[in-house]
Amino acid sequence: MDINDILQIIVSPTTAAFALAAIGLNFHYGLTGLLNMGQAGFMLIGMYGYAITVSQGGSMWLGILISFVGAILFALFLGWPTLRLRGDYLAIVTIAAAEMVRLIGRSQWLKEWTGGNTGLRGNQFKGPFENLSPFQPARIVEIGPFSFHTTIWWLMLVGWVAVAVAAGLFWRLNKSPWGRVLKGVREDEDAVRSLGKSVYSFKMQALIIGGVLGAAGGVIWAHGNAVQPDSMGRVTTFWIWTMLLLGGAATVLGPILGSVLFWAMFVFIKQLAPLVLPNLAPQQIEPLALAFVGIGLILLIVFRPQGILGDKREISLNV
Amino acid sequence: MRNANHAGQKARHFPLRIALLSTLTVAAITVISAVPAQASQLATEVADTSGGTETNLLLQNLLNGITFGLLLALASVGLSLIYATTGLSNFAHGEQVTFGAAAAFAAVTAGAPLLLAAVIAVAAGGASGWLQDTVLWSQLRKRRIAPMQQMIVSIGLALAAVNLLQIWMGAQRVRLSTSIEVRYEFGPVSIGPQTMISMAVCIVALGAVGFFLQRTRLGRATRAVSDNPALASATGISVNRVIRIVWIMSGSLAALGGVLLALYENTSDFSAGARILLLMFAAVTLGGLGHPFGALVGSLVVGVVAEVSTVFLPTPDLKYAIVMGMLILTLLVRPQGLLGRKERVG
Repeated sequence: MDINDILQIIVSPTTAAFALAAIGLNFHYGLTGLLNMGQAGFMLIGMYGYAITVSQGGSMWLGILISFVGAILFALFLGWPTLRLRGDYLAIVTIAAAEMVRLIGRSQWLKEWTGGNTGLRGNQFKGPFENLSPFQPARIVEIGPFSFHTTIWWLMLVGWVAVAVAAGLFWRLNKSPWGRVLKGVREDEDAVRSLGKSVYSFKMQALIIGGVLGAAGGVIWAHGNAVQPDSMGRVTTFWIWTMLLLGGAATVLGPILGSVLFWAMFVFIKQLAPLVLPNLAPQQIEPLALAFVGIGLILLIVFRPQGILGDKREISLNV
Repeated sequence: MRNANHAGQKARHFPLRIALLSTLTVAAITVISAVPAQASQLATEVADTSGGTETNLLLQNLLNGITFGLLLALASVGLSLIYATTGLSNFAHGEQVTFGAAAAFAAVTAGAPLLLAAVIAVAAGGASGWLQDTVLWSQLRKRRIAPMQQMIVSIGLALAAVNLLQIWMGAQRVRLSTSIEVRYEFGPVSIGPQTMISMAVCIVALGAVGFFLQRTRLGRATRAVSDNPALASATGISVNRVIRIVWIMSGSLAALGGVLLALYENTSDFSAGARILLLMFAAVTLGGLGHPFGALVGSLVVGVVAEVSTVFLPTPDLKYAIVMGMLILTLLVRPQGLLGRKERVG
């Protein structure tokens, strides 16, 4: 058992990236009650938009712009047919559209840009961001129990600042008149409609903001790993849901706490499993840890749907 | 009052009818599968003599699409029935399909012949449906947990199940049958005997489901529950019992679908069902969410579109992306699906 591994995953860029995506989902589900089952698709759109722009010679800022514009267009494309329909239609369409993005991304058709099923390697797009790093020269730096390369420290700094900004945005918007309308939509669409608000437009705005945050999470994830279409499948969306529901939907810090706990527990179970079950083959450890994620999600919904920080009165899943 | 008594007496025959229906289905499978066993030798000769003829790509893909559509229909009819009776979009249905293939593979590995393995898989699938409903879903309904919340529970179940299946089966691909497929040629198309049996089994099983829904009392009760559970309950139908039976049926049909899919693709692995989950959702939505025959119509459309599109697409690996696009388009122009009733869904 290595406590350092758990501490390292807690601060890692992956955790920050998923926290961002979960905050985005919190805008959809926690605030507005939208069942977006395609958050991984938003992440994938974000990382493709960024990585393709940069690998084709664009600047980093253009890459970020294109990644956000991509997420906005994706949200419009998803919301247009479904936001007028019942909640489960949005769930099916978002999951289908996210899958479509993944299938097109991994297809041989656009291999020249997307790199097909192997995706894009880090050295094709990480350069501009890493060159901005103020931590020079590039070497491994140890602070307390954490030992990372300077580029990772830089990425972690940017990632967690982005998480803080997103959480601040959620906190501010949640308290604003705009946020109250969204919560009204979540609780009773017809009541909001009767007050003269355009429910459709408010839902669309929430979908776009959450989607852009998902895309930002995708860009950070890609910097910590690489662009891999198959690691952004349906299951990834389900993880983000687990994080949000674990921490507590409709709370400011819930998604962040959820992401931290999710990854910490994931590493913890992976380390614990060989000690408890010595007969387990090494390749069976990860599936076992992931099976616990699923069981955890079931128990969460049944026994504590509001999560750790949430308020049971606020969050009722009657979409 | 007399009518109610009458219904009560009839109710005791429900399990009997189910048993009869299953026996008939299994018997039909046995008879059909016995035929090509003799025919396969003949087939080799046929295939040898006509090896040079070209098959028509479009027609061949159409046939493949219909075959795949039938398999998809078998796998997804349970998804549709569960949605109709409980309002649950069951994301763990893909794992039901995989479970069928896994159970059959375990039986084959233990030395059972393929047919017995298929029967074991169907029984195990039904048992898993019963177990799930008893332990999980009926409890959730009792606690009045909303269908959307139940949907997230099913996602958790899917996550747990797919990983447990991976631990059970391993990450490698497995094969249920090691025999080499011969192919018959019929004019412009060719088809293997195994595929023909699969199609026949699909048609028989789907016919049995159709007969069950249209002609038996329990089937009518099922349709009544899917129409309006409260009203059905008020007329003396035991809603929970109908749902329990729907879960059993759904589990066994998905398992049968999984076995046939493994034979059709000639390979299976722990994610075989998860891969077709969205195709099943597309099929069920396209046909009309909750409509009993929607799954069949939708599946055939999905199967044909997926296979035929490979002729026109720049790369064939986009075929499922086309289906996803079609699903989104359907919801845009006709959200109630092809067969669904027009109702306000927003």
